[in-house]
Order: sequence, then structure tokens, then C-alpha cells
Amino acid sequence: MNAVSPEIPMPSRPVSASRYPVAVWPWPIALGLLTIFGLLSALLGQQGIWLALSWAALSIPLIVTVICLIRAWRRPSSKGGLS
Amino acid sequence: MTTRALRRWFVVHKWTSLVCTLFLLIVCVTGLPLLFSEQIWDTFVGDDDPPYEVLPPGTPNASLDVIVDKARALYPGQIITSVNPDDDEPAVLVSMAPSWQALKDDENYPDRHSGHWIKFDARTAKVLEQSRPADAPKEPRTWTGIIMGICNRLHTSLFAYLPGRLFLGAMGGVFVASLVSGTVLYGRFMKRLPFGSVRRDRASRLTWLDLHNLLGAATLVWATVVGFTGLVNELQTPLFGLWRVTDVRQILKPYANLPVPAQDHLSSVQAAFDTAAKAAPGNEVTGLSFPGASFGSPVHYVLWTRGNTPLRARLFTPVLVDARTGELTGAYPMPWYLRFLEISRPLHFGDYGGMPLKILWALLDVVVIGVLVSGLVLWAGKRRIATDARLRALGYELDDPDDAAVPVLTAGDAR
Repeated sequence: MNAVSPEIPMPSRPVSASRYPVAVWPWPIALGLLTIFGLLSALLGQQGIWLALSWAALSIPLIVTVICLIRAWRRPSSKGGLS
Repeated sequence: MTTRALRRWFVVHKWTSLVCTLFLLIVCVTGLPLLFSEQIWDTFVGDDDPPYEVLPPGTPNASLDVIVDKARALYPGQIITSVNPDDDEPAVLVSMAPSWQALKDDENYPDRHSGHWIKFDARTAKVLEQSRPADAPKEPRTWTGIIMGICNRLHTSLFAYLPGRLFLGAMGGVFVASLVSGTVLYGRFMKRLPFGSVRRDRASRLTWLDLHNLLGAATLVWATVVGFTGLVNELQTPLFGLWRVTDVRQILKPYANLPVPAQDHLSSVQAAFDTAAKAAPGNEVTGLSFPGASFGSPVHYVLWTRGNTPLRARLFTPVLVDARTGELTGAYPMPWYLRFLEISRPLHFGDYGGMPLKILWALLDVVVIGVLVSGLVLWAGKRRIATDARLRALGYELDDPDDAAVPVLTAGDAR
């Protein structure tokens, strides 16, 4: 379920950009809102443009996932993410 | 967040996930073929309906009374149980049986099926097809039928009927709890990582953890919606039961003890369809069952109508028409909990936005399988760390922690 046991303090490392806190929630919230929009637009709209918007909105989380995976595997470093 | 609170969330996430992961894997895998069942049937079994006559567009449908009379003439002395116009094809399905009592007796004999059906062309009222007679040799089962049947029963009830449904519903609830606790943990563990990081230059556990977090965050809302609507779907039997013992019983009370009239004295079926369409404006009438049906009234036609917009297409409103006089008794919109159930269905099935939506549904489902598998890997890895530490404490030399033989040894002996 996860690697770092909560009670073990983080080992001290040389300070690098990724050691500073980053905004955790913007990306998950954006992807969540897109998902909700995609689910509802096809359900409520049910016509041409709303269907297309639904497909687009629901593909974005998948596309973002694939991009992150490709980045990580192309350039094996801890900075493989989007920020 | 305090360390204590965090540890508590961690324990919640670990146990809720452990409880539901196996069942969710079953449900996710069997859900994939179910998603495309229509296409699978068409590809591997094909449509065995005879082709429809080509008629000029706009040809009006035959009166349902003509169809009903033809059905009676084919099987004199039998009763009609229901009349159902097809959703997409110009056909009307008429179901018949020797008597209501014969249908009731069938319940005690699992291999007796006294009910049968006749399919008519809705426009010409010609017989298109009939069900196989009960004494005919059984149709050989196709592989498609067997596989899809297994998937369907595993997915909905684990082959355990109502208890299986309720159990899977409970697993849906546990899954939602695991998603919530997982989200809390995500906030804690991603504090110093940009979104979507997958650390591949350190321990492989961190790679799995980052994958778990990334895939989980991307599908969180979808998984919550499909998990929760799955839970609601599994509750359909008790919810419909609740409706039957409350509202339905109340509505039918004045008629409950009346005798079922003979079918040749009933009012017009076509007129009952027209009356129902007027009683539920904006709805289309999808079927009619005759007086005497097991959960209807002894003297009413029960007509099922549904909305004609996608959102309302699953909201059924039954209409009662007195079969003795042809007069409208009333339309009875379903209670809120059944409306909620009906609305939650498309959100579970993903069948409301064409083929692209189904494909997206399948891809999201595969990503969720990835979340489940990475979660299992993390859990199994952690267990091995713990057992390795114990073995070291017992004095075993564990030179290579990645040696495949070690976990085999520890799994059996250390506990």
C-alpha cells in the first residue's frame, strides 16, 4: 500500500528542488472535475457536441497518465512528473 | 496531520483494500467482456432473427388487438401474459402460457417452462418467430453463451444469488472507503513530489508506490462513481421489494381479492397502450402485462412506460388501466430510491455515450486493475520486509533480499 512507514522520519538528503513542498491537489482535482464533466455531459446532453466533449474529457486523465509514464521511462529520474 | 491520524488512515486503507481487492479484480476483469456483450454476441453468435420485410418508410403499425387476436387463435385456450413492442426493431413479442396457475407451478419444477412467446412483425402482424417448444431438444450452448454467462454471474453475484449480490454490494462500499482513505494518504505522500512523478532510480518499491499513486489519482473519481453505482445496483432486489410491500400494496389493496376475469372479456390492448401514453406524457410505453400476473392486480393491465430522454429512459412509471372497462386507474411514479437506482445504472454500465465511451470505460477499468495490482505488490513487498527482519532477528543469514527462494521459505515458516 505504501512504502514509507509514517513513523520513520525522512532520511536527510541534499536539498534539491523536489524536496520542497509542492501543490499536491491541483492536478488530481482538475482530472476529477474533467471526469465528472465527462460522465455528466454524455448523460445529460446525449447529443453530438456533448458526446464529443464527454469523450474528450474522459480521455484526458488517461492521456495524462500515459504521458507521465512515458516521461518516467524515458528519463529515469525523480523529476519525471508534471508540476 | 498528526502521525497518529496518519497511521490510522494507513491502517484503514490497508485493511479496506485487502478486504475488497480480490473481489474487485474479479469484477473488473469480468466487467470487460460484459461492457462489449452486444458486440460479442453479434460477432460470435450473430442475429438469428429472420430478416424484416422491407416496407415503405412510415408504414403504420398494425393494431395490437389484431396481434393479440392472432396469438389467441394460434393457441386457443391459452392465456396471454404480456405484450412487449421491441425497442429497436419493428417487432412485438407476445408471451403466452397455458394458465397463470401453470406459470406458478413452474417455480417448483426447475426444468418445466410452460411459458412461451411469439414474435410478430409490428407492421404486418405476421408471425416472425416462435420460442422453441418445451419438449424440443435443447439448443446446444455456444461457447460465447457459456463464457458470457459465467462473466455475468461472477460480476453480479459470484454465483451466490441474492446473498452474493448483497456481499458484492458491501464490497463496493468497502472499495469506496478504501478510495477515500487512499486519497488522504495520497495528500501526505505526494507533498514533495510533483504530480505524476514515477521514481525509477531508487528502490523498486518507490516505483510501485508512485505508479499506485499516479494511476489511482487519475482514475479516482471514475472508480468512485462506478464503485458506488455498482453498490446501488446490487441493492435493487431489496429496494424493489421495499416498494412492493409499501406503495404497490397500498395501491392494489382495493382490488386484491377480486377474481381474475376471463381473457376474452377484457378491454382493448391497443386502447390500453394509448391510454397509458396519455397518462404519462413524455413517456413511451414499453410493455403491458395482463391481469393476474404475479405482482400485478387481478383486474388491471399494468403498462410500463419510460422517459424518452437518455436520463429518464431508465425511469419507469407503471400505469394501471382497468382491464374490465378500459379506464385509467392511475400512473404511479416510482419512489425516490428507485429513481436513484435507475439513474445510477447508466453511470455503472457506461452504455450511454456510444462506442467511444465504452472504450474509455474499458481503458479506465484496465487502469483501475493497475491500481489494484500495484497495491497488492506494495502490500506483498511490505510483508516480505517484515518477515525478512524477523528472520534476521532469528539469526538467518539473508545475503540477497531479492533472492526468490527467501520469500518461499519465509511464507511457510516464519509465521
